[in-house]
Amino acid sequence: MSIETRVVGKSLPRLDAAGKVTGTAVYAADFALPGMLHGKILRSREPHARLVRIDAGRALALPGVRAVITATDVLDVRYGGGLKDETVFARDRVRYVGQPVAAVAATTREAAEAALAAIDVVYEPLPAVLDLEAALAPGAPLIHEAWQTYTAIPILHREGNVCQRARIVVGDMERGFAEADRVFEHEFRTAMVHQGYTEPRAAVAAWDSAGQVTVWSNTQLPFEIQNTLAEILALPPSKIRVIVPGIGGGFGGKLRVGVEHFAALLARRTGRPVKVVTTSEEELTAAYPRQGTRVELKTGVTRDGRITAKEGRIWFDTGAFAGSGPGVASVATLVLAGPYRIPNLLLEGYAVYTNKTNCGSFRAPSGPQSNFAVESQMDMIADALGLDPLDFRLKNIVREGDEGPTGQVLEAVGLEECLRRAADAIGWRDRRPAPGRGKGLACGWWTTTGGSSGVYVKINPDGSVAMNTGAAEIGTAALTGAAQVLAEELGVDLADISVVSADTFATPFDFGAQGSRTAFAVGNACRAAVADLRRQLFGLAAAQLGVDAEALTLRDKAVVADGKRIALAELARLSQASGGGLIAHGTFIAPPTPYDAKRVEAHVYPAFHSPSFHAHAVDLSVDRETGEVTVHRYVVAQDVGFAMNPRYIEGQIEGGVAQGLGQALSEEIVYENGRVLNPNLTDYKMPTSLDLPRVESILVEHPSLVGPYGAKGVGEPPNIEPPAAVANAVAAATGVRITTLPITAEKIALALRGEGPA
Amino acid sequence: MSFEYHEPTSIADAVALGARFGEAGRFLAGGTDLIIQMRRGRVAPRHVLSLHRVTGLDRIEVDGAVRLGALVTHRAIEQCPHFQGPLGALVEGAEVIGGHQIRNVATVGGNIVNASPAADVVPVLLALNATVTCLGPDGERTLPLGGFLSGPGQTARRPGELLTSIRFDRLPPRSATAFLKAGRRKAMEIAVVCVAVRLTLDAARERCQEARIALGAVAPTTMRAGAAERALEGQPLTDEILRRAGRLAAGECAPIDDVRASARYRRLLVETLVPRALRRCLDRIGRAA
Repeated sequence: MSIETRVVGKSLPRLDAAGKVTGTAVYAADFALPGMLHGKILRSREPHARLVRIDAGRALALPGVRAVITATDVLDVRYGGGLKDETVFARDRVRYVGQPVAAVAATTREAAEAALAAIDVVYEPLPAVLDLEAALAPGAPLIHEAWQTYTAIPILHREGNVCQRARIVVGDMERGFAEADRVFEHEFRTAMVHQGYTEPRAAVAAWDSAGQVTVWSNTQLPFEIQNTLAEILALPPSKIRVIVPGIGGGFGGKLRVGVEHFAALLARRTGRPVKVVTTSEEELTAAYPRQGTRVELKTGVTRDGRITAKEGRIWFDTGAFAGSGPGVASVATLVLAGPYRIPNLLLEGYAVYTNKTNCGSFRAPSGPQSNFAVESQMDMIADALGLDPLDFRLKNIVREGDEGPTGQVLEAVGLEECLRRAADAIGWRDRRPAPGRGKGLACGWWTTTGGSSGVYVKINPDGSVAMNTGAAEIGTAALTGAAQVLAEELGVDLADISVVSADTFATPFDFGAQGSRTAFAVGNACRAAVADLRRQLFGLAAAQLGVDAEALTLRDKAVVADGKRIALAELARLSQASGGGLIAHGTFIAPPTPYDAKRVEAHVYPAFHSPSFHAHAVDLSVDRETGEVTVHRYVVAQDVGFAMNPRYIEGQIEGGVAQGLGQALSEEIVYENGRVLNPNLTDYKMPTSLDLPRVESILVEHPSLVGPYGAKGVGEPPNIEPPAAVANAVAAATGVRITTLPITAEKIALALRGEGPA
Repeated sequence: MSFEYHEPTSIADAVALGARFGEAGRFLAGGTDLIIQMRRGRVAPRHVLSLHRVTGLDRIEVDGAVRLGALVTHRAIEQCPHFQGPLGALVEGAEVIGGHQIRNVATVGGNIVNASPAADVVPVLLALNATVTCLGPDGERTLPLGGFLSGPGQTARRPGELLTSIRFDRLPPRSATAFLKAGRRKAMEIAVVCVAVRLTLDAARERCQEARIALGAVAPTTMRAGAAERALEGQPLTDEILRRAGRLAAGECAPIDDVRASARYRRLLVETLVPRALRRCLDRIGRAA
């Protein structure tokens, strides 16, 4: 980029840095009110059972216990995203171990826990559907017998235990495979994994005398929670105020209602504020983890390495309720296509009910699972054809002006540069530098999620600027990025800007901190606000300076023209005296991305907006006897469009890679007979600092047409490619191909001995 | 969770309280196991007897023998200059327990009494033929560590008895130790398998004079691999003999399948890590020569 900037594009310190590093920042889990009670949730012990009886008599008699509520105390409402299949409590049937059965409010957490233990529940077990195969088998028990009666967006394709089947169809599969010299078929599997946010889900709710409830929660989507609570409580949304004090990580796990509704219901019942915070065990058994999957890929290739056709299916084990499943199954088909030119495609994404916890969204939902399959298979094909995996990719990748799988025209395609720079940085041409050591590559593409954002921007009489946004700062520094855009455009310093955020009463609407969209969309809304403020400022200044408004510009905290100058602070004071102060409402919504509707069926996410492109490269060693993997170096080349704040983009890349390496090598929620075997952080293995290599970030900038200064979404992509890159490096190091996640030392060691999985 | 908290200031007072409360009391050392077990509801002592104010239990004494007070922390073992040479396996075992915060408080006595089959320092002590000394209302008694450990979470400690110290002999010349651990990550990890080895060569440095092999996480208690030891003693330590010891050890252990690993993989690790640890000892003896 050749644009000269003062603020945006610079690695300036984030606005919330001091509070976070000194420990004074208030997170939702810190939040407390006088007289507050503590809420706890009683959860099903059975994966699938008839709920015969709940008796809370003993619990209510315990000291300190103020309320016990069950399904009979709440409205019989089904809520959810595109498919409304969830209830607050199990009513007559439990569908997973961990499903809420009752909730308790007590004066202390200990009293609430004692009450849970004193609630008598009688279950009558039913045959459970424990995995994808069981759910899809002919005659499988239905998880939701009344699935046809549920409200759903009409576009979904549903049938029994399949709560969505999205499809992309392009070209002629028969001809495509006929043109191929070789056809490769492979199957892959990935494990259920948790987002691993540091702060558990937490909410405090309090009702006032006007019948309005305020909920302080660490949600990523305050406006979505407001609407969901309105459904559950049967109240107009205007009676529900959701405020996000702070979030200790979300990564998609805090998009949907988690504990807010329990806090609100218990607070209403008791007339006291109620706080609910989840435990690690609840997180690992009853949160919104990433779905485990099975993937089948069939790819036709010519002898010289041109892909002629691809047929792919991915099944998401979405658990007992749809959660994010229908959307995730749709997005997956775009990832399965890969960032490749393939003339003939048949891609299907399925979301499937099982008797497990309700899965949700996790940083680049569907991305790592689909990309692991696609990019593992790219290396397997390259090996079979005797091609270098980098050359094979370069032969097939999309380039400027190409069509995406659904016909969208691809612009600002930085993929070749990403692949070449990542490969160069890792020393690709020496792929097997020593016995047991190998390098792997993987690439991909991803979306910048749309949705609208609004900001109010106010210029204070001291010249400082208040930025009021409905988006929550979830730790990425995205709001600092947006503030840098605002400061740049207004001619002020970043330090002049203060942020008020994420309060459904006090801040304008925002589609939420999800989908790599916050800095992108809020940044653009800030630009719109500045356009309005410029008109207001120039009108006032023109009169004061006696110059034509067209001659004015914003510079150095002032409006200037021809050597004349009037400070923003002065104009703000003038406006307060005469016109109610300087304030603007800036809004943004990403324009729709045109695509070919004939290519998709039952698809809720048919195109990637302002797509980003990326390549990862890893250098690792494998202990050939124990299977232990040591990652030496990790390189990410990511086309970010324009780096609004390079330091925090690098932070996103490092964090995303750390999370991705966990999914690649060590993390899995293990179910046996419908129960999680490792519901604690002792046995759910997130990587530690000693397990992680130094991550080298290469920021590639092919500016998007829509994002502020050409920016693209950056938060999710670093999480997508690590599993595939690691699988490919392990194969290079050992000759052994692991097709299931996580790639544990055990799997590698047994495979090296020629033994299958245990 | 409700209990009475006591802070005795001497060993005698601690033992007296232990005798008074018996099964209803639990000694608290570093707390890194006990607190977790209490929080998870696995144990609910009515009396917690903190040892924090008891003096004299955190000393490392080295003369002809080594004596570790029960409250010696893992961090203290890591940093002890006497353990940097032939006894280095103690450091290797201690430094992979938990993280820094854990090692700063977790004690070697607590680790033994907790009797986890996956404990990291316990196999090293077992390979060193350590004994443990307990003090109770009936006086003091000293037992071999191997006999003290009786099952997962179970020891020969009597209700109210306080483990006060651990003792083992210094190593003869031409000796070394090594400790290896396999797990899914490099810190904050419970061993999938751990192996501790002590090796002494004969005067000609050609044959094995004495070998001790202890295995963790492959049986109800930390165990000695006796058949593997016998296969080494008196033998020239060729690679084939070392690998045979590994196979014997893998055969005599009794691992289970659990969420951390399969029994099959655990045996494979024993088979691999035993000869690897022995080679490390040979290397260390060679370098010291």
